[in-house]
Amino acid sequence: MELIDLSADVLIIGGGLAGTNAAMGAAEKGASVLVADKGNINRSGDIGGGVDHFMAFLNEGQEWDTQNAFLDYVETIGRGTGHLSIIESVYCAELPDAIERMARIGNPLTQADGSFYRTQSMGQPGTYWINFNGKRLKPCLGKAVRKLGCTVLDKVMMVNLLTHQDAVVGGIGFHIRSGSFYILQTKATVIATGNTNRLYENPRINPFNTWLCPFDTGDGQIMALNAGAALTNMEYMRMTLLPKGFAAPGFNALVGMGGRFLNSLGEYYMEKHHPMGNRAPRYEVVYFTLEEIRKGHGPIYIDCRHLNEDDLIHLEASLGYDKDTLPDYFEQRKEDLRTKPVEITVSEGMQAGPTEVTGSGIKIDKDSAATVPGLFACGDASDHNRCVHGAVTGGYKAGKSAATYAKGLAHGDGAPKSIIREEIDLFMKPLHRPSGYPYRQIEDAIRKIMAEHVGPMRTKGSLKCGLEKLQRIESYLDEMKATNFHELMRAHETRSILSVGKVMATTALFRTESRNKPYHHRLDFPDTDNTNWCGLVVFRKDGDRLSCSFEPTN
Amino acid sequence: MPPTFYMKKCTGCGLCDSICPADAIYMKEFEDTSVPYLKYPDECWHCGSCRQDCPEGAIEIQFPPDMLCI
Repeated sequence: MELIDLSADVLIIGGGLAGTNAAMGAAEKGASVLVADKGNINRSGDIGGGVDHFMAFLNEGQEWDTQNAFLDYVETIGRGTGHLSIIESVYCAELPDAIERMARIGNPLTQADGSFYRTQSMGQPGTYWINFNGKRLKPCLGKAVRKLGCTVLDKVMMVNLLTHQDAVVGGIGFHIRSGSFYILQTKATVIATGNTNRLYENPRINPFNTWLCPFDTGDGQIMALNAGAALTNMEYMRMTLLPKGFAAPGFNALVGMGGRFLNSLGEYYMEKHHPMGNRAPRYEVVYFTLEEIRKGHGPIYIDCRHLNEDDLIHLEASLGYDKDTLPDYFEQRKEDLRTKPVEITVSEGMQAGPTEVTGSGIKIDKDSAATVPGLFACGDASDHNRCVHGAVTGGYKAGKSAATYAKGLAHGDGAPKSIIREEIDLFMKPLHRPSGYPYRQIEDAIRKIMAEHVGPMRTKGSLKCGLEKLQRIESYLDEMKATNFHELMRAHETRSILSVGKVMATTALFRTESRNKPYHHRLDFPDTDNTNWCGLVVFRKDGDRLSCSFEPTN
Repeated sequence: MPPTFYMKKCTGCGLCDSICPADAIYMKEFEDTSVPYLKYPDECWHCGSCRQDCPEGAIEIQFPPDMLCI
């Protein structure tokens, strides 16, 4: 096995939207940068194939179009799931530069005539969504990162962080084709590995048919946790509404243009259930849709037949921006937005932030720093970034902060190599077992347990049962067999998925109330208790000891 | 099963193999040339990156029956 030692000021783990912006932020501050990604940064991550939305206030004159109004919106729909002061620092303050940067790298958020096409949904007080063609965004970012001189390690999966004297000093990982093992020693490390998918049983059969990227498996959050970093908001099980057989995003586009949710009785049920109707916050739409299905009012559809010709033309032209293959899917399934409602259903569950403006994962401060020195986080892996807008702004912020931290250190004195070499064999073990279980067999069981016991209707009893079963399946992790490096990657992902599941069940057990239902819906504590629970559940691991604590946001 | 490779157009450049975020597309030797194949079809996320980036337009997306019928 080839061992490759590299060192730099900053290591970025994950080269998706947040990670590439972090790399730009660090490099433009003068740091030397390594970027490691399981895929190729030109097309990896949630928006690898494209994206169509970016949330922003633009100060164009309307009352709702200011920073203060935006933060009021965060407070209203976030319901205490984020610190406004941190969102102000990692998003609001970074926003003008982020919009300029996207234009600078060649994928502007504007239309051809230079204007912003803005739409409204998800409880927004005005048209906060910028609808744009982001199909070239990742290739443009990949090019920009390479042009800045960053060393890009495509197809390299990081499996652990290096720590020395209680600080993070880099990480180790392997190439998923060659098996070359990388020892990356850096002064600062940024985690940008997205949220956790493939965690719940999938209503569309295939566990890889997920809304968000199925290769985002919580690896970064678990590496950070094992290095001593705190996680927050991990109890939230996020869901959305998606076309029945294909977990393609498109909710924003369809609802933003005026699509209406329809049940099988012919009722536009959201217009009955919520004052904002179809444009209610996402968790409200999911909650009431689950209720409709439970009452026997399914199947559920989205109806766009009433849209005017201009809106339909825009919708048809832009539908493939968020998911390149969605127009093909509609065509092959013989769906036609103009003539009939499209059947949709509730997505698989995932571990992700409780709203579009408050995240979950690695706990960060105003400088995107985690609770361990030398570690920073951004994008969906961090607790105060969320979605596209959070990844672009928060990513750059984390990169800048990591560069500043690295510059302030004397020459790094990394972890002793003898210890690293011992660890390598540990991570390669699934390759060397003569026999064992394929990762998928273990992972399918995890998804089943999560769906049945840690799902959208939780109780103390179900969560305890779920935890016990997750602990039982954990004992089989050391019996996984991989026949090549691709399978070794999946086996490590399975480990992360299980760890996230355990953190989720533990934190969901701790929060004895319901918040942003159905994302955290305790049937035994069905009410939202703002007196005691307006804030974040903080999860830590100290050796073998796991702990939950509560941090109020007011 | 998406994606489908049209070998008459494919030049075997390997770009689809390089950029597939699923690590699902691999190259293999066939009649003295290098050709792409879908090694892990179940792991395709249907992101369309391979089709978008293919310089020859040699990739089409065909959804499987389970996705079209459920």
